[in-house]
Amino acid sequence: MSASRYTLDDYNALSDDAFRALVRDFLGECHPSGLRNPVKRLHWAEVKPWYMELSKYGWLAPNWPKQYGGMGLSASKQLIYVEEFESFGAARTPDHGMMLFGPLLIRYGSEKQKAHFLPKILSGEHIWCQGYSEPNAGSDLASLRTQAVLDGDEWVINGQKTWTTLGGDADWIFMLVRTDPAAKKQEGISFLLVPMKSKGVSVKPIVNLDLQDEFSEVFFDDVRVPKANLVGELNKGWSMAKALLGFERIFLGSPRQSAHAFARLKGLAQHYGVWDDPVFRDRYNQLWLDLEDHKALYERFADTLRRGETLGADVSLLKLNQSELYQRISEFMLQIAGEDGGRLEPVDGNADLHAPGIFLTARAATIYGGASEVQRNIIAKNVLRLP
Amino acid sequence: MGLDEERLENVRMLRESAAAVADRNDLSRPRALRFRQPGFDRETWRQMAELGWLGLRLPEERGGAGLGMAELIALAEEMGAALAPEPYVSGLMAMEMLDGAPLEAALTGERIILAAWQEKPRQLDDDDLETSFVAGRVSGRKLHVPMAAGADAFAVTTQQGVAIVDSKDPGLTIAVTGAQDGGHWGTLTFEGARGEPGRTPRDGWLDEAVLATAATLLGIVDTALERTVEYLNVRQQFGVKIGTFQGLQHRAVDLKQQALLTRSSVEDAAAIMDAGAGPAAKAAASRAKARASDAALIVTRQAIQLHGGIGYTDEHDIGLFLRKAMVLAPSLGDPALHRSRFARFQTLAAADGKEGLPA
Repeated sequence: MSASRYTLDDYNALSDDAFRALVRDFLGECHPSGLRNPVKRLHWAEVKPWYMELSKYGWLAPNWPKQYGGMGLSASKQLIYVEEFESFGAARTPDHGMMLFGPLLIRYGSEKQKAHFLPKILSGEHIWCQGYSEPNAGSDLASLRTQAVLDGDEWVINGQKTWTTLGGDADWIFMLVRTDPAAKKQEGISFLLVPMKSKGVSVKPIVNLDLQDEFSEVFFDDVRVPKANLVGELNKGWSMAKALLGFERIFLGSPRQSAHAFARLKGLAQHYGVWDDPVFRDRYNQLWLDLEDHKALYERFADTLRRGETLGADVSLLKLNQSELYQRISEFMLQIAGEDGGRLEPVDGNADLHAPGIFLTARAATIYGGASEVQRNIIAKNVLRLP
Repeated sequence: MGLDEERLENVRMLRESAAAVADRNDLSRPRALRFRQPGFDRETWRQMAELGWLGLRLPEERGGAGLGMAELIALAEEMGAALAPEPYVSGLMAMEMLDGAPLEAALTGERIILAAWQEKPRQLDDDDLETSFVAGRVSGRKLHVPMAAGADAFAVTTQQGVAIVDSKDPGLTIAVTGAQDGGHWGTLTFEGARGEPGRTPRDGWLDEAVLATAATLLGIVDTALERTVEYLNVRQQFGVKIGTFQGLQHRAVDLKQQALLTRSSVEDAAAIMDAGAGPAAKAAASRAKARASDAALIVTRQAIQLHGGIGYTDEHDIGLFLRKAMVLAPSLGDPALHRSRFARFQTLAAADGKEGLPA
């Protein structure tokens, strides 16, 4: 880690404004200019320079405590960090190690596991991917069937994961496996760590509806890992995974996607000559208002985090609202584009004008991270307490 | 207002022969043709010609079958259901602009001739043309000619009437833009291209193309919904078929409502158009296209959502319906254009004392 004005002992000692200014300066100075506002999720080979830059200054893991090499940011400083990264258009790195696996390990891992794995995430030596969903366990994740059986000192894993983000780029996968087939479905699940180079692991990229390939299927055929690769208690993986879902939902509920799409509406309307059309403007204003209200909703949940409280089931509303607003904006963009709504490539190579691209990408937002249907079930049951 | 026995038989036979050419249960052919040129199959085009589809609307004395709009929409619906990539509607439009030898070659499928009529984005009615045809030479620009890279010639609307231009003419440049459905459209720039005079199309020819496109969208709507309902009956989560969830049942019903509205609108428009050209026919075509375009995007979007993760893969066929809807919904006029066109012509029709506004 290089000595620099960006590397501080205690970021939380700064005022929020001073910290925000620091993040802006950092991005302006350190973010590779060619990687700003990428049109698709970048692969490791493309985004590595930015990852290593973050690593150099100790800025990779804003959410980890200082003692593990993170920035140790308070909840409110973390939000500022995320907000500034988003508004700058910083390229997203393969962040499952920082965002999901790191916090999991810090909370549930052994000291030995922490000492071994955390530094390797920070140095870029290990890129992690997540193995949760399976072809028959999507919305109903707890019905997952990938199995791990203990054979002497080794786990033997068989099964298949899907929707693994950047699976082909990763060195390791943290995964949910069934370790007790006899138990009730939520109770026989454990967390295992598996090197992607293990014999018997194979990765097949998935081509999305938007023709990008950031997801993959991962197959496990008699894959063997040491017994010590279990995280936390045996058969307690489900509650560990659930503890991380609140974080995922506030992340997916952040206004960033909607704001990103909305910010492109004006340019699009000007390009297609409808900016001064009153019908357009009314719909535009409606979405604008929806976006501002969503930001207010987001702040409500962020405040809960700032107060150091844990999020309730109602955070599902945030994810639901964001994903559906994002889609409404993208559908409006498609309408404005007229015949260009059927274009495969952006007009004049300008990604900001690519309504069909945003429209197709937005289709996934109400499916991943708990489909809208599942979020509504959660709200009905756990918030409204309906029978 | 039903069809008589003879016409019902026509429709039945057309649907049957359509299934043999473009099978709605096997999308491997349209899938394989995606993202390459010309993006459709010449042999299939020839088959379509042999079956008399290209001359479907032409009177018998011009070598056509002399069938009506009710027959045309049945065929177009089948093409939509099977996601056939052949530019059938554009070919049909060209037929209205051909005579003599070019018409004969087009009717047999020997030469693929497509219509080049649009000059501005979101344009439908063909007044104020800028393309000229003077001393045998065509100059101007035409937009959104579907599958233009596969055409042998174009039937081009100009200020001075229709011109037929060979696709290889040195005075013609074709710029190709890829489309989300795996096809493409051509932007045609004519700079003194050699043209042969064609025939002035019948009144209402654009409306017929509009309704044929609406019917194609109807095929997409119905098939996407059918496949989605099938999936709800098979996919299991939480130990049951997901079709047992009331929330999903209600959503499927909402989509069925859109599908049936679309069918009613399209079939009603065909009946009105078969009764004669004029403002009422234009209003009906626009009404059907507005409904079909909106319904197609609503239904195909929800089809993805109801399929969940698998629907978001390119590998699964359900996405092909969304991609086709993205291309056809704004083509030959988007819903906003057609809504205002409907209002204009429906008002005119009322003034004519035919179809009218509610009193």
